[in-house]
Amino acid sequence: MEWKLFANLKEVVGQSEVEVDVQSGETFGDALDALLEAHPELAAEVLNDDGELRDHIRVLHNGDNPFVSAEGRDTELEAGDELALFPPVSGG
Amino acid sequence: MSDLNLDPTQLDRYSRHIIMDDVGPEGQKALLDADVLVLGAGGLGSPIVQYLAAAGVGRLGIADDDVVERSNLQRQIVHADADVGRPKVESAAEFVAELNPDVTVDAHETRVTADNVDELLADYDFVVDGSDNFETRFLVNDACTLAGVPFTHGAIYRFEGQITSFTEGQPCYRCLFPEAPPAGEIPDCSEAGVLGVLPGTVGCIQATETVKWILQDAGLAPEADTLDGRMIFYDAMAMTFEDVPVQPDPDCPVCGDDPAISSVQDVEYVETCAIGAD
Repeated sequence: MEWKLFANLKEVVGQSEVEVDVQSGETFGDALDALLEAHPELAAEVLNDDGELRDHIRVLHNGDNPFVSAEGRDTELEAGDELALFPPVSGG
Repeated sequence: MSDLNLDPTQLDRYSRHIIMDDVGPEGQKALLDADVLVLGAGGLGSPIVQYLAAAGVGRLGIADDDVVERSNLQRQIVHADADVGRPKVESAAEFVAELNPDVTVDAHETRVTADNVDELLADYDFVVDGSDNFETRFLVNDACTLAGVPFTHGAIYRFEGQITSFTEGQPCYRCLFPEAPPAGEIPDCSEAGVLGVLPGTVGCIQATETVKWILQDAGLAPEADTLDGRMIFYDAMAMTFEDVPVQPDPDCPVCGDDPAISSVQDVEYVETCAIGAD
């Protein structure tokens, strides 16, 4: 399964797409954990001290926010799902 | 056409608009009657101001409290070398005056704050956010959403842009990002750098959204699809546009089911723009 990263998150990791070994039936939380395991340098950018996603970081699962439209970390994934992680940017 | 009060010069100037069914004389009249507030006369504000002025948007408010710096000129194309040191709203207003005498500019040489935002917005139909910091962006979202003023949002970072519009009440920017990142965490253009042409692309999309909103508000361009409910991620390096949904968040502090923010006075627009920040 593939994560897409944007803006400074992409720069911290050094690439915009990261493949993680997560199977159908595993959850969005599993995929996030796998991403952070592969790229621990990303953890400080996206998680707060309690290990939850920081308020300004957004995640997408096939274009939808799993924390609004599905079961959050427990959202089940299927092969080929697209995952994304992005912050707001402010430049003008 | 005479009943729409377009004079012969205007019929000529806007003929490429008027000839299209989706604009026509009615749409051009709507553009000439529109009052649009552009926040920021920088990288985004430059193409926004240029294209809205060329399109004949009758009244353009331009708000910015900065002066032109030489390092702006690589992307802020409404200003020229001789403008360095001048207020940006002055050189932007001069550009418009030279481009199109049909357009009246209200130059607001001021920083948009919680104390002046409501008064500023009250005079306009539509707002274009081309500001350059999170504090202003969250303030603009909150004030526009609470007042029911439609707006389009564009923001840039190095080679990337984010563009969306909020014109139908829900969702709003805080549905996507409830709070701003801590100050300094996501660098701005001066710290991170920015590809000069990037705000040209992003600002032009914002200007397009503005023109389409004006036409639709006049009952025209029925097929037009705006960026309501979705955000474009533009990557100039990869040359890709991705389109992701922006969903209403029932827990949104501004437009959710039980909003905590009922006035911009509820928020301190510093740091993360949280409610009751201290």
